Amino acid sequence: MPAQRLGHLNKREGSMYLKKAVWILIVLLLCAGTLLLFSCQRASGEWHGDQKLIILGIDGMDPQLLTRFMQEGKMPNFARLVQQGSFRQLTTSIPPQSPVAWSNLITGMNAGGHGIFDFIHRDPKTLDLYFSASRVEAPKHAIHLGSWVIPLGGGSADQLRQGEAFWQILDQHHIPNSVFRIPSNFPPVAAKGKTLSGMGTPDLRGTYGTFSFYTDDPTAVAGAVEGGQIIPVQVENSQVKTQLIGPDNTFRKGSPAATEPFTVSVDPIDPVARIAVQDQEFVLREGEWSDWVPVEFQLIPFFGNVKGICRFYLKQAHPRFQLYVSPMNIDPSNPALPLSTPSSYSRELAEEVGEYYTQGIAEDTKALSAGVLDDKEFLEQSRTVLAEHRQIFDAEFPKFHQGVFFFYFSSLDLNSHMLWRLTDPKHPEYDASAAAQNGSALEEFYQQIDQVLGEVLPKLDENTTLLVLSDHGFAPYYRSFNLNTWLLNNGYITLKAATTADNSQAFANVDWSRSRAYGLGLNGLYVNQRGREKEGIVQPGARADALLKEIKEKLLTVRDPQNGLPVITRVDLASEVYQGPYAREGPDALVGYNRGYRAGWKTILGDFPPDVLEDNTNPWSGDHCMDYTLVPGVLLSNRKILAQTPALTDIAPTILAEFGIPKAKGMMGQSVFQPDRAAR
Amino acid sequence: MLFVPIRPLMADFLNRVLLDNPLAIVVVVSLVVGLLMVLLFGYTSNQKAIKVAKDQLKAHLLAVRLYQDQLPVVMRTYGRIVRGTGRYIRLAFMPLLYVIIPITLLIVQVDRYLGSMPMQPAQPFLVKVQTAPDTLNDLSLQLPAEMAISAPAVHVPADNEVVWRVVAEKAGTYNIDVAAGGQTFSKQVVVSPDVSRLSPTRLRDRFWERIFVSGEPALPDNSPIQAIAVTYLPRNINFAWLEWNWIVLFFVLSMVAGFVFKEVLGIEI
Repeated sequence: MPAQRLGHLNKREGSMYLKKAVWILIVLLLCAGTLLLFSCQRASGEWHGDQKLIILGIDGMDPQLLTRFMQEGKMPNFARLVQQGSFRQLTTSIPPQSPVAWSNLITGMNAGGHGIFDFIHRDPKTLDLYFSASRVEAPKHAIHLGSWVIPLGGGSADQLRQGEAFWQILDQHHIPNSVFRIPSNFPPVAAKGKTLSGMGTPDLRGTYGTFSFYTDDPTAVAGAVEGGQIIPVQVENSQVKTQLIGPDNTFRKGSPAATEPFTVSVDPIDPVARIAVQDQEFVLREGEWSDWVPVEFQLIPFFGNVKGICRFYLKQAHPRFQLYVSPMNIDPSNPALPLSTPSSYSRELAEEVGEYYTQGIAEDTKALSAGVLDDKEFLEQSRTVLAEHRQIFDAEFPKFHQGVFFFYFSSLDLNSHMLWRLTDPKHPEYDASAAAQNGSALEEFYQQIDQVLGEVLPKLDENTTLLVLSDHGFAPYYRSFNLNTWLLNNGYITLKAATTADNSQAFANVDWSRSRAYGLGLNGLYVNQRGREKEGIVQPGARADALLKEIKEKLLTVRDPQNGLPVITRVDLASEVYQGPYAREGPDALVGYNRGYRAGWKTILGDFPPDVLEDNTNPWSGDHCMDYTLVPGVLLSNRKILAQTPALTDIAPTILAEFGIPKAKGMMGQSVFQPDRAAR
Repeated sequence: MLFVPIRPLMADFLNRVLLDNPLAIVVVVSLVVGLLMVLLFGYTSNQKAIKVAKDQLKAHLLAVRLYQDQLPVVMRTYGRIVRGTGRYIRLAFMPLLYVIIPITLLIVQVDRYLGSMPMQPAQPFLVKVQTAPDTLNDLSLQLPAEMAISAPAVHVPADNEVVWRVVAEKAGTYNIDVAAGGQTFSKQVVVSPDVSRLSPTRLRDRFWERIFVSGEPALPDNSPIQAIAVTYLPRNINFAWLEWNWIVLFFVLSMVAGFVFKEVLGIEI
């Protein structure tokens, strides 16, 4: 290149190169600065402590049963933990219901602080009932085109529990944590660690679990039963052609349920069948369960679909066709609703351990109550649920190295509910032959939990604290008390003229202009209060308080004519037991039933069975929704528990205190490793 | 001599990284096919004419923009675009045909390996036999010692089918036998953790179906059995946070590879 040209370049392009070099330098400095800032942030965000905390949440573990099994040498790992550490009864929540109790544990507050008072809540303006823990809503606005509905915007899934969860506070202090299957956490709150939602997670249909039962038995009553649906079918040429029922299709006018066809080919002679669902085929013998079967429901052809998973059980091939299909669980590999944090975790877990129950209450108690599954079949399903939970535990526990690890087991609670009658000859549903066959099943579930503890104990060191706890204990449920019938008989509820009391629709025939109180939920008693209820008549304040006092005094005098025992041992007024911003949003009083008694199934939802007291003939034979002082939970630790009367609301402060974090505003309790409550 | 010590390592590498890795197989096949497609297209097409046709199309598209305020010109140009597109398609059609036929045959062959997954030990699978109605109740399944029937056979008169649930104890390539009308017909079953050549079904007649889905000799013409099938599970390949059918992934990757190679080799498509 000629020198002149080079010189020209040097003059004109030299400054350009200089500018470029400056820009490059600036960009490099910016990159370096960003990296430095990021690494500093990471360094300041990392936690380097050695302290570890393991919490096993065992729903429904009862202190009396645990003590008995330990004394009988059936729970050696628990006995070892008690010997080396501490064992206390853990005061449960008011009322002692799982969603309330676990919310107490999660937030360190009572129901007045976290706003969960029962499994079900009511809208005082309409008396419409809804699930207390979460609300899943379709888009608010939509365009209607023929039979199609085009949504304008997305739907929502909202958690209704208020207050900060203990793991969110741990996150703020950069303490690593993993929380698996804790109840009252659907959809899971934002968290840095791994969380997986537990009790309160709906099935794909948005219910707490709706099974399907297909049968050609002409004596079976078709239609909805509690927790399920009986679907009549015809066996033609040894084939049954029917449909799986999916979620409501909100893209169609009237939101009919989405369905997917499936075919069952029954062998004409042998008790065996081939089931074909979408592109899958499998063979089941009579009395056999399938693995998880993924099903895709098409909501809009080619565009919108949701995926579920279900399990089939061929109850009978001949002479009557009987096929049970589990509730359609949300597919953890492709969740239609959020199940975990991070959102990809539910899929990653499925890749590691296989598909698993995502429905919060996985044990199908409703199918047993409806007679669709018998004891043996229910136990098989229940054992599968526990096996899955143990598989998840076994996959995750070895990954725990620092911070907090929480794992929840549901089996003792749901099996205590269903199997109590097999262990208690005083129960109206006790059957000696059934007890001989499956009477030890509950004990076996306790022993399985002991085995889980056996996996944890060897991992404990001087820096590791272990808490094993339950939200409540258990008691027999012999007799039902129909609170609304009692209120009706005692003049607190008046029905419209010329109507019958026992009606299928909640409070359908109540004359609210002449009714002063009503019962709703398992323990709730409400005043029909002016300005709050749509047709309220009782003035809030002194009048309402006086009414509650009057009803309380009367309820405490109720005796069971069968044995003379008090049916109700305490009634707590919300104004006396709840603190926090939501204290007045729940029931006005909480009815605490004596051991052996509980609110009847119909009165819970606002119905009026004819008798105030009746035998509980449902397989659901054990319960805890009673006087909270009669059904405490358990608290065990490898460390010395100094609190003599620890409560569920102490657990969140205990977790925080283990990492030197002061309890959050609104938390009621103290660390259980501090001296007892009075000294505190 | 220098490579002798590393030969087993290379073989192991090839086996683990390539042969037992479906994604690696798809990537390699896509790259090779992408390259071959471009080369074949280049050799079998009139490159000069295609270049002229494409240049003319570009010129017409430019004319539409330049003379957008002159409606008659725009309309005439649209007509030329349509004719030019037709000319381009005509020029590309035969070479594409040359490319499509071998690719289809290649897909059929690769699908034997990647379309489905072999059974795993202890994993139940179904053996389905389609037969004539009069022999539905005369079929029996004979298994090697490493396999067992885990449920009674399901006879499905509506489909003229008998279905057995079978489970294998350990990995291997087995022949199962179906006896009917005094004759025995065998079917291959592969139980393996590796990528293997699979034939999901053995068929009688149905020539085209046999070409595409069966990798075994046809059943005899006089056989009462029309098909013996094994329910291998379809294979999905994880790529870019999605699950892909290998054929879809192959098409995407081979197209990308083709566009890259066409630029590198200067071939007009």
